Amino acid sequence: MRKYILLRCFYSIITLWLLVTIIFAMVRLTGDPVKMKGDVGADKAYLERIRHDWGLDQPLYRQYTSYIGNLLLGDFGHSFEKSLPVRTIYLERLPNSLKLGLAAFVISMVLGVPLGMLSALRVNTWWDNVGKTIALLGLSMPGFFVGLVLIIVFGVQLGWLPVLGKGTSAFIWSNPSTWVPFWFKDWSHLAMPAFALGWYFSGAMLRITRSGMLDVLGSDYIKLVRLKGVPEQVVIAKHALKNSLIPVLTLAGLNLLVMVNVAVVIEVIFNWPGVGQLLYDGLSNRDFPMVQGVVLMSGLMIVLLNFVIDVLYGFVDPRIRLSR
Amino acid sequence: MRKGILVLVPVLILVSAPAWEKLLAATAKPTPILSGPLAKLDIKDAAIETARGKPKGKLTIAQHFALDPGWLDPLEHSYVLTQQHYDYLVHDAMIKPMPQGEFTYSLAEHAEMTADFTKAAFRLRSGLKFHDGHPLTTQDVKWTYENYKGVNFKLFHDKLQRIEMMDDRTIIFHFKEPFVEFLDLYNGGLSGIGWIVAGHYYKKVGRDGFKANPMGAGPYKFVSQEAGVQMVFEAWEEYWRRSPGVKTIVVKGITDLTTRMAGLQTGELDLAYGMTGKLLPRLMADRNLRWDPNFTGPWWLMFPGYNEAESQFHDKRVRQAVSLAINRQFLVKQETQGIGIPWGNWVNQENRDALRGDGKDLPVPEYNPEKAKQLLAQAGFPNGFDFEWYVPFVPYFDMGERILADLRAVGIRGKLQVLEGPGFRAKMAQGRKGYPGNRTIVQNVGPRPGGAKAEIGVYAVCGGSASFVCEPPIEKLWAKHQASVDLGERDRLIKAIQRILIEEYYFVPIYLNPFVHAVGPRVLPEGKGFHRYWDTLHAPYPWPWEIWEVKD
Amino acid sequence: MATITRRMPLIIGVSQAVRRSSDVARETPFIPLLILTLLAFLAVFAPVIAPHSALDPVKPMREQCLAKYGIAACPYVDNVPPFWAREGTVHTPLGTDFLGRDVLSRLMYGARISLVVALTGTLVAGVIGTLLGVLAGYLGRWWDHIIMRITDAWLTMPSLVFAILLSSVRGPGLWNIVVILALVFWSRYARVARGEVLAIRERDFVKLAEINGVSKLRIVFRHIVPNVINTVMVVFSLQVGVAVIIEASLSFLGVGVPPPEPSWGLMMAQERESLMEGRWWLAVFPGICITMLVLSANMLGDWLRVRLDPQLRNR
Repeated sequence: MRKYILLRCFYSIITLWLLVTIIFAMVRLTGDPVKMKGDVGADKAYLERIRHDWGLDQPLYRQYTSYIGNLLLGDFGHSFEKSLPVRTIYLERLPNSLKLGLAAFVISMVLGVPLGMLSALRVNTWWDNVGKTIALLGLSMPGFFVGLVLIIVFGVQLGWLPVLGKGTSAFIWSNPSTWVPFWFKDWSHLAMPAFALGWYFSGAMLRITRSGMLDVLGSDYIKLVRLKGVPEQVVIAKHALKNSLIPVLTLAGLNLLVMVNVAVVIEVIFNWPGVGQLLYDGLSNRDFPMVQGVVLMSGLMIVLLNFVIDVLYGFVDPRIRLSR
Repeated sequence: MRKGILVLVPVLILVSAPAWEKLLAATAKPTPILSGPLAKLDIKDAAIETARGKPKGKLTIAQHFALDPGWLDPLEHSYVLTQQHYDYLVHDAMIKPMPQGEFTYSLAEHAEMTADFTKAAFRLRSGLKFHDGHPLTTQDVKWTYENYKGVNFKLFHDKLQRIEMMDDRTIIFHFKEPFVEFLDLYNGGLSGIGWIVAGHYYKKVGRDGFKANPMGAGPYKFVSQEAGVQMVFEAWEEYWRRSPGVKTIVVKGITDLTTRMAGLQTGELDLAYGMTGKLLPRLMADRNLRWDPNFTGPWWLMFPGYNEAESQFHDKRVRQAVSLAINRQFLVKQETQGIGIPWGNWVNQENRDALRGDGKDLPVPEYNPEKAKQLLAQAGFPNGFDFEWYVPFVPYFDMGERILADLRAVGIRGKLQVLEGPGFRAKMAQGRKGYPGNRTIVQNVGPRPGGAKAEIGVYAVCGGSASFVCEPPIEKLWAKHQASVDLGERDRLIKAIQRILIEEYYFVPIYLNPFVHAVGPRVLPEGKGFHRYWDTLHAPYPWPWEIWEVKD
Repeated sequence: MATITRRMPLIIGVSQAVRRSSDVARETPFIPLLILTLLAFLAVFAPVIAPHSALDPVKPMREQCLAKYGIAACPYVDNVPPFWAREGTVHTPLGTDFLGRDVLSRLMYGARISLVVALTGTLVAGVIGTLLGVLAGYLGRWWDHIIMRITDAWLTMPSLVFAILLSSVRGPGLWNIVVILALVFWSRYARVARGEVLAIRERDFVKLAEINGVSKLRIVFRHIVPNVINTVMVVFSLQVGVAVIIEASLSFLGVGVPPPEPSWGLMMAQERESLMEGRWWLAVFPGICITMLVLSANMLGDWLRVRLDPQLRNR
């Protein structure tokens, strides 16, 4: 078992290292960021000073080694476009993305799980078809489409919800009094982007819940419980539900992470100051350290989560525990 | 008796001498700091308001770019996008452009340069201090100059011989050689070196700390920021010039036009930039909102590589056809609801030495697609031709598409190249190398201070940093201009160069661009008076900020 | 007597066949197939059946110019509403956009772009990914480790982000998007293919071939790949929908297919302001098209998945 964990750990580190290297190489293929700071007519000495500040006048291998070295110390470099350390800016924005992701997650669960269960219980009937179609519809409508329609209908025409950003609440790491209220304020700003984001994933939730329920409902354990004469409601509520939620939760966890990191288009449309917007700004401005930092952080989160899941499975499944 | 008067008169004179001195002193000019003949400088006095009102209300501004904390540091920041927008908020300069004139005394109350431009002297006002109460002295002026790392920093450092601080308020810069453009460049409108930074504070918080939490001597104190998202400023009532009108200014970075529009309409925003394009009709139709046309400069087209023989744009007739194909009247109606003005020149009309393109100096360009087709046929393209890329100024892609449609109607077909703002600027900054090949059309607008000669120097001469034009007749005139010291002759030569550029169709002008700014109902004064905020010359944004007023 | 008994198998056979075919008919996703065929038809025959050009503005009628601008002749009339509105005409059934181009024609040509980009991109990704996955699964050892670690790294990057990054490298353009899609999605195929190969590798017929000394390459192509194809096809059909959305998102953000091409995502991006002004059809119709295409592809993919997986078939 210990070997298994160590192996998984080793693989995760290799994956992360590969990720960093791939991104490092790719951002440098996108062009020269120095010229973007200088205006038409800026003097050469000024541009050279910027290039030196950014470390881009060093040979490539030197840039790479110093970047990796700094990473191990927790220094993600300075943003080219926003002039402050990447870590500071990222940490400032992360709570916003988490707030959006959690809200979208909740919406996707609230929309998807009950409908999925309904589909499973009324499998192959009209309800099931409706459920399956709704799920697919969610997965088929691009997030920006939903977002645009929401803004125009609820924001501009009806005026029910504000259209700008996230409101005034902020999560300030250095100010603990803001830590708790942040999650509960400004829900009106959160409603539309969270719905646009969660809509897509509710389809996935629906399907997973449905197939999980069907698996459980067809299992021997449930047949036994039914034979014992337990009333149907209890069968469903007490036994089927509990067991079918395991795969749901596993994948839900992964979905949450994906939501946090993938909400680029939603954040751009709604002007939501999250890490997705950081990434988009960074890509437009050839802000190497920012792009590298954000991608690395999202990769780190996913790799960590996968590692945890793998280890948990290892504990649960004796085959894995005892395999090579 | 006579003896008594003879004695009394000198006594009277002696007794009243101090009074005479005072009278003379009051009417005499201030003693010059520098000796010798002085250069004639045209710097306007500051308008100080003794009545101190209370700042009221909040002004929320929508900046059309994501915010960069680096803009808060005058020692370093680039002037590309927002120029001095934030300098005018938090900091103050020795001399800066104001509604009175391009050079207006600010922190300095008196400036001199020797006639040979080797020395420059400034006298600060008395009683100046920073937001934290620390006095602003020549020590800070010296420190700022020495630690400046922004545009032209090398030039400033190389030319400087030494800085002499005569006292807390008087400072003299000694240069190694004549520095004619010193005041032009030191002016707060052009670079950050004139904006005075508190050395003691900068050293205390460090470079990153200063950008995260800046402090200066300007009308507004920095309160807080979320990097890239918003910045909050609060009025500093002890500002020397006057008490600011608005209490809180919030700047948000909103890159999206529809979001800015929505914000204006819901009342979440009070001032928004860049409202041109498809939403202009909506803006104009909304009774609650007002707008200022804010003309920045003319649009024009350039042809990188036209002087190469294989380029499709090599023949003057082809370029003329391009100009004839564009329906400027219709374009102006579609893009700017008729606010834009078809213009015959490419140089910003606010410059004194620019030719006017409304028919006075240069004709308004003609729209004649039939003639365009004839010219194309004469030039060897009877069925038109395909060129590669049309590169519009970001993000005016709609306008680019409209022009492309016009060109396609006469047979000139191409694709629109959609770039990001930084990508476009990077290409322009590389000049000819930014646009490989010779089948491209570039659409640009380029307001910059310094007169038509500055724009020509960048775009129209062989050595220009963003120039695609290299023509011997222009070079001859330019060389004469650089060598001449006669202002009248210089003016004539500059105008002649502009004429050649238009008549030979090296540049194709389109229309004067209104970079529309919109304000909401809270902005005072109500009605049309708010246009005065845009009075400063050459300013793409409505600074200075301390004169703004909003409803409570 | 004899006739009845002789005909019985026939009758039973026919009735069984009818029942089976009606089962098939009930299960076959007619609607998605119909939609996809329609879209493919439009894409292929757009130049013939589209009423106007997708790039050039519609030549306006005199009355339209007069009504809108007050002049007798104008280069184009923009923002004509669909035919059911007051100023709409059947000449441009779904109206015109901000440059006076016919929306219906642009939608038809847009089908081309979406289908070509999505299909080609996913296909190329599929070929690359499957090959790499098969190699990793079959050859094992170091190949497996290296390829799988790279695949893992690739998979940790969100596809949209990666796509935007790649578009900064390559620049805008239709074929660049195909390349980007291929580069972004191959890893999903590799993962799945490898999993399948690991299972198949232990099967008897493969072992037999190995014992008989058949070359590795032949085994891969003759035995492994055909058995992996089923699963790969399911992934393919599900990925097509994702590819369409990625292309639309890229074009929406301005880093995909460049103007004046009528990509559906681009049309939505360009008409965002019109949405605000109440001209909802300009942005909503392309959105509906995207949704229809992706929905059909997903439904088809689902059906394939169920058909090809015996365990799921009876659900």
